[in-house]
Amino acid sequence: MAFRGRGRGRGFGRGRGFTFAKEEPFIIFPSGCSTQSVSEMLSSVLMFMLASGSMKNDITLPDIKNVEEDKALVIWNSRLQSFWKSSLYYLEETTSTKNESADIERYSDRVKPKTRSRRDPLSDILKLTPDQFPFELIKGSKIGQHRKVRWNPQSDAQKLDVTFDKFQKRDEKEGMGQGEDEDEEENEEIEEAEEEFSDDGDYNQNVDFDDDEDDFNMDNEIDRDEEAIY
Amino acid sequence: MATRYGIQLAVHLISSHFGDLVAKVCECLLRKGTLTLRDIIRFTELSAQQVKNCLLVLIQHNCVQAFSTVEDGGLSESRIITQYMVIFNNIIHRMRFSKFIMIVSQEFDKECEELLEGLLQHGRLTLAQLLDRANTDKPEGKIPVVHLGGDRSRIHVRVLKSGFHRASCGLLCLSGNSFLMIGLSLTIKFVQFVECCPAQDALRESFNRLVNAHYVERCPASEPLLELKTDEAPSRRGAKSAKIARVVETTEQRALKAAAPMEAKRFLVVTNTGSDIHGKNTVDMPSNEITGEKQMKDEYMQLDGALGGAVCEKEVVWRANFEEFVLRLKQKVCVASIRAQYDDGAGVVLSAMLEATRGTERKIRGETSGPLSLNAIFEEVMKTEEGRTMTLEHVRSSLNQIGCKLDTAGPDQSYSIDLKNIIDTAQRDEVELIVLKRYGKEAFRMFRLLSRTRCLAETNKISDTALVDKKEAAKILYKLWQDDNVHMVRPTATSTSDKDLCLWTVNKDTLWKHVLDQMYHGALNLSLRTLYELEQEREILQLPREKRIGELGKRYERLRRVRILMESSLMKLDDSIMLFNDF
Repeated sequence: MAFRGRGRGRGFGRGRGFTFAKEEPFIIFPSGCSTQSVSEMLSSVLMFMLASGSMKNDITLPDIKNVEEDKALVIWNSRLQSFWKSSLYYLEETTSTKNESADIERYSDRVKPKTRSRRDPLSDILKLTPDQFPFELIKGSKIGQHRKVRWNPQSDAQKLDVTFDKFQKRDEKEGMGQGEDEDEEENEEIEEAEEEFSDDGDYNQNVDFDDDEDDFNMDNEIDRDEEAIY
Repeated sequence: MATRYGIQLAVHLISSHFGDLVAKVCECLLRKGTLTLRDIIRFTELSAQQVKNCLLVLIQHNCVQAFSTVEDGGLSESRIITQYMVIFNNIIHRMRFSKFIMIVSQEFDKECEELLEGLLQHGRLTLAQLLDRANTDKPEGKIPVVHLGGDRSRIHVRVLKSGFHRASCGLLCLSGNSFLMIGLSLTIKFVQFVECCPAQDALRESFNRLVNAHYVERCPASEPLLELKTDEAPSRRGAKSAKIARVVETTEQRALKAAAPMEAKRFLVVTNTGSDIHGKNTVDMPSNEITGEKQMKDEYMQLDGALGGAVCEKEVVWRANFEEFVLRLKQKVCVASIRAQYDDGAGVVLSAMLEATRGTERKIRGETSGPLSLNAIFEEVMKTEEGRTMTLEHVRSSLNQIGCKLDTAGPDQSYSIDLKNIIDTAQRDEVELIVLKRYGKEAFRMFRLLSRTRCLAETNKISDTALVDKKEAAKILYKLWQDDNVHMVRPTATSTSDKDLCLWTVNKDTLWKHVLDQMYHGALNLSLRTLYELEQEREILQLPREKRIGELGKRYERLRRVRILMESSLMKLDDSIMLFNDF
C-alpha cells in the first residue's frame, strides 16, 4: 500500500519520456546580469575585478585602482548600520525566536554564546504623545515610563560577549586536555568492542570512570589480551 | 520620484535597517500609495499591533507622514480619517547619512558631529535626550583620577575627544588603561572614575550652532488636518489664452506643507529661563468633529500632564534637516563643475558667492545665488586662502566667464548666478558620458547632436552632421531607440515621402527618468552584492583578532578591501543619483 503513491510518481516521469523543465544550475550572480552591465555603463561607478573565479568577465571592467576609497564614509556607514541592527527600532517577528538562517548548524554555533540582546520597547525613546504621533497609533500604550535608556545597545551586547568569551576560554582550556584523551580512548575501545561480543560497551568507553567495583571491565581487559594473539 | 527600482532600493534600505516587518509595511505604502491604518493591515496581513509599531518606527525616522482628512459620510456624520503617506526621498537619504556627517565634521567640531549622529541614528530626539545620550557611557562625563604609586599624589586626567588624556601636570596618556609618562617614572596604582558635572553648556552651545546653521530643525506636526479641496470648475475653452502654468498640488504635497512648522519657528531654540512660551497647543480641531474622539484626546493630554510635568511642558523634538544638507551638496557639485569647466579662480569666486548668501531664504538659495554686489563678493573672496591673491578685475572677469547675470537696477551692480543651468549642464554631460561608454564614439556624437538641438532630425541629416556612415548611423540609432535612449517618430506615409523616413529626438524628461531608474538599479545591486560578500565570510568576521592569522588573515584582509571598494563605489554612484533626483 505504501508503494502505490510512490510508484505512480515514478512511473509518471519515466513513462512519458519528457521532463517538465530543463534543470539549470542556479548562479546567484550571472555574468550577463544587470550588476555588470549597469555598472559598466555608469561612468561614476568603477567596479572592480573580484578575485573569485566564479564571475565570467565577458565585459571588461575598469581598473580597481581608479576607485576613490573614502574610508571615513565607509566607517560611518558601518557604524550606523550596526547601530540600527542592534537598536530597538529593528522589529523582529516574535513568533520564532530561533535563528532562522538556512545554513547548516555548525559545532561552532553551539559553542557560541547564545545571549541575544533583548530589545527594549519602543516607548523607551519614542515620545508617545499626540503631538508626535497620530492618536490611533498610541491609543493603548502607556506613557510616562521613565526607564534608563540604553543609548548604545551594541556596546552592552559587546560587553556581554566579551565577558562570556573570557569565561568560555577559561572553561575550554580546562576541558581541552581531558577531551582529547577521552576521544582517543573511545576510538580504541569501540574498535575492540566490535571484535568481541560484549554487553559492557558503555562501561568500556569510559576508562576514566574509576569504578573499582566494576568487575566486568576488569574481566574484559584480561580477555582482550588473550584474544589479540590470534 | 519613485521609479520601479527606486522602490526596490527603498525597501531594501528599510529592510536592512529596521527588519522585514517594517519593510513590508513600507513596501505596501510605496506600491499602493497613501493608505489608512485599516487598509495597511488588510494588505500586509500582519497583526494590528505589528503594523502600529512599524508605523511608529517609520514616523520616528521621518519616512512616513500622517495626516487627517474629513470624510463625508453622506447620511451619517462626517468623520475624520487618518492616512499615512510615505516620503520616498527621505528613505533614499538614509543611504547618504555618512555624507551629512562628513559635512558637519568639516564645518564644526566633534561634539556637533556626535549630536548629529545621534539625531540620524534615532530619527527624532528632544534636547534633553540628546544631552542624556552624550553623557552616558562616555568617559568625557567622568573624570578618571589616576592614583600613582610611590608619590601619593592624585592627578586629575581629563579625557579629550581625540582619545588622548591630558593630565593636569603635563603627562601624556593614551586611551584606555595604558599611560605613557613623559619625563616621570611613576607607576600607576589604579584609576578611579569620579562622577563630575557633565559639560552641558558646551553641548547646548554645539546644539545651538547646528540649529543656527539650519542643519537641525523642529519636527513637523504629527497629524495635520487637510481641508478637502472642492473640484475646480472645468475651465472654459477660452482659458487657453491665459496660458498660466498652474501647478496642481497633490494631496501628499499639501499634507507635507500643512505639517511643516512655520518658518519663524522652525529653527527657534527656546532657552529654558522659566517662562513658558505658549506655542500652538494641539492641531486645530474642526467644528464638525465627533466629540467622542476629541474627548478622548483631551483626556489623554490631561493624563499626560498628570503623570509628569516634563511631558506637559511639550519638549520640542528635533530632527536633522535633510534639505539643508542636500543644498550644501548641490553647491559643492556646482563649484566642482565650474572648477572643471573653467579654472580654479572661477570656482573660488562661485564658492565665495554661495558662502556669502548663507543667511538668505532657502528658496532663493536653491535656484540661484545672490544677488550680491561686486564689493561683497570681493570681500568674501578675500577671506579664502586661494582667493587672497585675486584682484577685483580678476573677480569681475570670472563672474562674467561663469555666466553671472548682472543686475544694474539697484544703486550697486549686483550679480547673481543661476544654479539650475550648471546642474542641467552637469546632468547632460553625465548622460552623454554614459552613452559614450556604452555605445561608442559615433553613438556619442549623434546623441550629443540630438540632445543639444531640440527639434526632430532625420537619419541622413544626423549622419552627415555627425560624420558617421549612413548605414552605421541607422543601426546605432535603432540600438539607442531599443534601449529607450532616443525617441523615434515615424511620420505617416504621404505621397512623396520615403517609407524609410525616421525622425529622431531626445526626450529629456523620459530619458532622465530612465537613467535615474537604472542608477537605482545599480545601487541596489551593489548593496545586495556587498551584503552577499559579507554573508559569505560571516564566520571570519566573528573571529577575534588573535585568530586572524595566515590564510584566515588573508581572507579577512580581502573582505575588508572588498567592502571598502564596494561602499566607496556606492557613495560615488549616490553622487550621480543626487544629481538627477535631488538637485
